[in-house]
Amino acid sequence: MHGWTGNILNVDLTSGRIWRSKIPEHFLHEYLGGRGLGVRLMRGAYRLDPFDPEMPLIFAVGPLCGTPAPTAARLAVVSRSPLTGTIYDCSAGGRFAWRLKAAGVDVLRIIGRSAAPVVLSIKGENAELLPAAELWGKRVKETVALLAEHGSVAAIGPAGENGVLYANIMMGEGNSVGRGGLGAVMGAKGLKAVTVNGDAKLVIADPDRFDHARADVMRLFRASPVIFGELGIAEFGTPALVDLMRQRRMAPTENFRKTVFAASENYSGPAIKRDFQAKKDGCYGCPIQCKKSTPKGEHLPEYETVSHFGGLNGIADLSAIVKANTLCNELGMDTITVAATISAWGEAHGRFPVAEELSGLLEDAAFRRGDGEALALGSRRLAEELGRPELSMSVKSLELPAYDPRGAYGMALAYCTSNRGGCHLRAYPISHEILRKPVPTDRFSFSGKARIIKIAEDTNAAVDSLVACKFSFFGATLEEYAELLSATTGVEYTPQSLKEIGDRICLTERFYNCANGFTISDDLLPERFFSEAGSSGEGIEVPAIDRSRFDEELQKYYRIRGLTSQGTFEDSHWLERQP
Amino acid sequence: MIDQIAKYKAKLLADRSAQPERIAFSAKDDVVISDGEHSLAVLAESILARLNCLALVVAAPSLPFADYLVARAPLADTAIIPRDTETRTFLHDIPFIRASELGEGDPAERIATILGSRKGVIVEGVGIIANGALTVEQAFINWSSVFHSTFVKYLEDLLTAGFLLPGEAEAFREFRTNWLKPLTAEGLTFRDGPLTDHATILDEMARVGRYTVERGLVDSFFGNISCRNNDMIYISQTASSLDELAGCIDPVPFGNSSTTGITASSELAAHRRVYETGDALTILHGHPKFGVVMSMVCEEQHCAVTDCWRDCDKVRIMGGTPVVAGEIGAGGLAKRVPPVIGGPGRALVYGHGVFTIGRRDFAEAFRALVEVENWCRNEYFRRLDARL
Repeated sequence: MHGWTGNILNVDLTSGRIWRSKIPEHFLHEYLGGRGLGVRLMRGAYRLDPFDPEMPLIFAVGPLCGTPAPTAARLAVVSRSPLTGTIYDCSAGGRFAWRLKAAGVDVLRIIGRSAAPVVLSIKGENAELLPAAELWGKRVKETVALLAEHGSVAAIGPAGENGVLYANIMMGEGNSVGRGGLGAVMGAKGLKAVTVNGDAKLVIADPDRFDHARADVMRLFRASPVIFGELGIAEFGTPALVDLMRQRRMAPTENFRKTVFAASENYSGPAIKRDFQAKKDGCYGCPIQCKKSTPKGEHLPEYETVSHFGGLNGIADLSAIVKANTLCNELGMDTITVAATISAWGEAHGRFPVAEELSGLLEDAAFRRGDGEALALGSRRLAEELGRPELSMSVKSLELPAYDPRGAYGMALAYCTSNRGGCHLRAYPISHEILRKPVPTDRFSFSGKARIIKIAEDTNAAVDSLVACKFSFFGATLEEYAELLSATTGVEYTPQSLKEIGDRICLTERFYNCANGFTISDDLLPERFFSEAGSSGEGIEVPAIDRSRFDEELQKYYRIRGLTSQGTFEDSHWLERQP
Repeated sequence: MIDQIAKYKAKLLADRSAQPERIAFSAKDDVVISDGEHSLAVLAESILARLNCLALVVAAPSLPFADYLVARAPLADTAIIPRDTETRTFLHDIPFIRASELGEGDPAERIATILGSRKGVIVEGVGIIANGALTVEQAFINWSSVFHSTFVKYLEDLLTAGFLLPGEAEAFREFRTNWLKPLTAEGLTFRDGPLTDHATILDEMARVGRYTVERGLVDSFFGNISCRNNDMIYISQTASSLDELAGCIDPVPFGNSSTTGITASSELAAHRRVYETGDALTILHGHPKFGVVMSMVCEEQHCAVTDCWRDCDKVRIMGGTPVVAGEIGAGGLAKRVPPVIGGPGRALVYGHGVFTIGRRDFAEAFRALVEVENWCRNEYFRRLDARL
């Protein structure tokens, strides 16, 4: 077999048993790896409570991991989110994925609950559980430093230990498995960290074909303004979007009450580069290097983070935003959700926090003390506790990121159809509605968006299963990545076949969600977006979204997906017919 | 979608790339919408039903070049490989199905199988079929890209191999005599520069962009345009159509103090360097077909360079126009064009097209674009006539 190892490394933390098993080859062919394979392997467990000891926490690499395929040294972590209750996956880069693959496994599947804190150490063919009582309570940076000799580290911080519902799993290199609270799932298992070091080499089935496809990808990267352009993400990181979102008048401000923050230039890409001497940083082997860090190695925040700690909370102080980002990384906590939760808390109290208050609020949330007890639950639960449920700017309890849906109707729809909740990365319509790739679409129109969102969700499900970075697709397409995959595995794939796999993955996720009670009522934006206009001006009108038109397009989406008008499955046995 | 189909059908007719009576589109939202010649529309709908994409266009090109390329290809080949930059970067190659293969099974199934992995396909005797993953416009762009690529490759092949098929010479004569129209800037009006007013700049760029398409210099989405005003570059956005630039022009500050221009053309870096290193106030860039063909005619013997697009560091002169290598975006074009364009006010890029500048307004740049393409057209036929 080329591309895949065909192995699962199973760990039962309750019994301490560690063993390897084989993955049925057709699973690999039909689900690829990463998100798809993880979702498939959740089939027997998707109804379990996220904190049930038997709930699997799955780390799955992809068939391109370990090859020089651009941006593919990544993995997906899959489980059920304690924040949203949905099936959940998150992709992360760094070196961990590459080293896990080099240890001879496609999937690390962890179940059970350890009676005492442990670290899972994987060294090539060998894996063992090490006591970690002395690490429990430590922050991420210190934890990673103490484990560095074991290889790459995936660890939780205090937020994961304390069950913060949006706790991250942090990769030692600064990447995060973020948003859905899988760090809390890991913490509930008593697992402080996983370390991995492997050195097995991956053999590519057709190296010449691979090199040709890789050259095609790199040519497209060079032709992409978003990737390698002078103003693109390789140069400024994702905060390159700050100015654009300001200009498009769709920058969420003051808990989405406004869509322009006058002082956003304080935390724009150029401002970060100027004030923090940002240098290129990023995932292992990635040619883009979109992450930025200071000369001392402090990781600088992404677009969503600067915008949400910034405009969403009315804060213009870049230093405070960078500090908040660093603190979240140290505590192991999702920046989007915590910033949005603080913003909802701020609106409920009639006052958004000032810059100096951020650190304290973040610490309180991570350690669940004082106001932090409610903040640790995310905005939906917090707003309900405060008696103001309308103030949670979330879909399926996942807080919306920094793209106001009133400024991009495909994004509005995609937030709602996303299986993991209010996430921008499933259909990622910002790509065409704002960044004009692969072709521009009218951001203030729902026309055709249901079909576009469906196709994009399928495409991105395949991308998340390869596992490649979404940013690659600001330049390259599935055409080139299907070539890379075929060359790597020796199994022929096409964009069409990959999208069919993506469709199966999306529907499987939706089936799991429906089985857990999700319906059309969960595919809905907060009322604010239908009743309050954004910040019009400079020739751009930002009206409230037309609810009837939104509903019409959502129904179209359901029909295109073959779902009922409630967004559910007509056939309760659908899953059984899937490979 | 009906209006989108009408719009892009009109574009195919306006640029005379497709036969008016042999055009069909199919697109799907929650239902399928098809329009155009009945048999082609049926075929389009049948293919689209098999694909996870939004739109499809089936149209017979107005010139027989694509079919000729298929007929001239060795029997074992299943694709042609044009060498222009657009193909090299975005299409890679163009698969084809011979007419003799169409009788084997359902043609829609076979075509869909190929389109499942590619943006466009030539079906001999039927035409060019292209898909759009997300929009009708994308299907049109892919169709036009294949048309452009086959045009360029056929002309390039003729210079080396001449006519090989029965009737080919006659068809080519018809193309040369009747299809090609004289290229001229006559009758066009340009605002006197320098252009300094924001609204005036946007309006003039939109108008000149439209001229390039209307005069047949540029297919609507192939090219970009910019104007300098003090410390600001106004430049057309990436993936914008030169004949539809209203709302698609980004003002970009020279000092990169804002990243709003992240949506600007991939050639922003080249435009910026040209402005920084010379006295240009306007730049036009397009891919006129003869310019692209002639840029790839290199007579260097025993050259060690194999990747001419990227690695050639020589400057050739064709009709007073320097020709350099360099791939788009961050691929080196921005380094090689600025040093050569200042004197003659024009430059060709290997496989890619023409850059021209105006030192006052767009009139000089536009006329230079016309002159380069006319020179390349004349030189092409001079060489072809000499060869034949």
